[in-house]
Amino acid sequence: MNQRNEEGLLLSVENLGEKLFRLKIYSPEIAKKALPGNFCHLRVNESYSPLLRRAFSIHQVETEKNSFELLFKVVGPGTQILSEKKPGEKIDLLAPLGNSFSFPEKDENTVLLAGGMGIAPLFYLVSSLLEKKFDPQKISFFFGVKKKDEYLLVNDMVSTGIRLHLATEDGSSGYKGMITELFFQELRARRLKTKRTRFYACGPNPMLKKVSEISRKFKLDCQISLESHMPCGVGACIGCVVNTIKGYKRVCKDGPVFDAREVILD
Amino acid sequence: MIPDLSVKIGKVKFSNPVLVASGTFGYGEEYGAFFDLNKLGGIITKSITLNPREGHLPPRTCETPSGMLNAIGLANVGVKRFIQEKLPFLRNLKTKVIVNVAGSSIDEYVEVVKRLEGKKGIDLLEINISCPNVKQGGITFGSDPKCAYDCIKAVRDNSTYPIIAKLSPNVADIVEIALAVEEAGADAISLINTLVGMAIDLEAKKPRLSNITGGLSGPAIKPVALAMVWKTASKVKIPVIGLGGIMNTQDALEFILAGASMIQVGTGNFVDPECSVKIVEGLKEYCQEKKIKKITDLVGKLKT
Repeated sequence: MNQRNEEGLLLSVENLGEKLFRLKIYSPEIAKKALPGNFCHLRVNESYSPLLRRAFSIHQVETEKNSFELLFKVVGPGTQILSEKKPGEKIDLLAPLGNSFSFPEKDENTVLLAGGMGIAPLFYLVSSLLEKKFDPQKISFFFGVKKKDEYLLVNDMVSTGIRLHLATEDGSSGYKGMITELFFQELRARRLKTKRTRFYACGPNPMLKKVSEISRKFKLDCQISLESHMPCGVGACIGCVVNTIKGYKRVCKDGPVFDAREVILD
Repeated sequence: MIPDLSVKIGKVKFSNPVLVASGTFGYGEEYGAFFDLNKLGGIITKSITLNPREGHLPPRTCETPSGMLNAIGLANVGVKRFIQEKLPFLRNLKTKVIVNVAGSSIDEYVEVVKRLEGKKGIDLLEINISCPNVKQGGITFGSDPKCAYDCIKAVRDNSTYPIIAKLSPNVADIVEIALAVEEAGADAISLINTLVGMAIDLEAKKPRLSNITGGLSGPAIKPVALAMVWKTASKVKIPVIGLGGIMNTQDALEFILAGASMIQVGTGNFVDPECSVKIVEGLKEYCQEKKIKKITDLVGKLKT
């Protein structure tokens, strides 16, 4: 019995922008076990409205403080309730769940692509790499949002010395267009190495579909973290599947991290 | 005083009346990480068919007010791989193992139960004649008394395991179906499977499930389930197993009062993985508090 219903203690709720929130939760067990890519399945209240748990990527872990963070956007009643929580409240959690990103070798390059809230697990991955003394100059981070006030953690990333590429759909800052277009341009112009390079991506499904197509075309070693409605979160209900070249796979148990070349998104 | 929670179905004695419903508990392993599975009365596996099934296209599930819709499409590993890969884990448990069987023809049901016959680690079969999400079979056997009779009779004639017939609420008269499967030799009936339902994404003008319709479960269907258990339990002689939106001990007790000898937790497992064991504990505490010696004394004791 290695998995338990954890009770976390909410330490802080930060409003980072329009409908954007960051929660810091105290839970020594989760802080100890979590790996980049893992997710937590969280019950927003004890009523039956909403009924099911919500899945969130683990965004950041502070092992010495026994805490971890979640980053989310308010998109419905569940996330609304969560955003109104107060420090000191208890949070019902199942975590850490799912698989995790496999890390690059020390001498390899790392390229990450985040679309919107897709930054949540990827920021955790970058932090872990830097903590393990990976060279920040060998890490490129592509971050795309709809408009510039949706940018998150940009200053934190700049201060680490990693190579940052920014894009907004409306052109209000950085490259104008989708982050996958900017990424594709860089690849085609051979400004990004593809040999001995690990690629990682997380974001909305249309973006990941593009990443998946590009990965197949350029034969990229690319891992993507998927999102899905997950009733159970532990692999029992088979409700959250994604189609792959090896058949349907459970996002919660076989993922959420998949090889981009194997996933078939529509 | 330690209350006696044990219940019998056919010759099988369960340590308590709490089961976990088919399709919500995989093949048992997933939830073994959360609690000691031996504390349950029994585990009901995902539906097993003759050949492996991939299931429906995603999206397969959708949340609704106090409930959820699912159209998984009986995704399962098929009977051969079930016996090879999944049964060894279940065999090592002390809890009772109930294998749920589905098919798209009577021949398929018979073939599956023949292959399960005599396999160590199986205590009972639950025959799913009520899946609302597959075009052929499933519910077609459960919506007509004659078809239900023929299906259960064929299984009965080809299996020595005690048989539970799982009934659908999507019928004109569930009592009629219950009487037919009792006549065919079922040792118990379980009800209700999910109610046919639908959800729409207004923005996209599309159904939320790829299968368009799905099965509704969760607290939203509990009143329907209670009424059907009550109606059926007063008409059949075999035990009734109640399910539909059971989330806690109080819900379980209500089903027992309405006539259920046992109960199943389904959607409740998703909300709280320990929901079922908490109910086992809760029933024990309730009986102690109310000085009830045997849980069976409560069955059908609704005052009307």
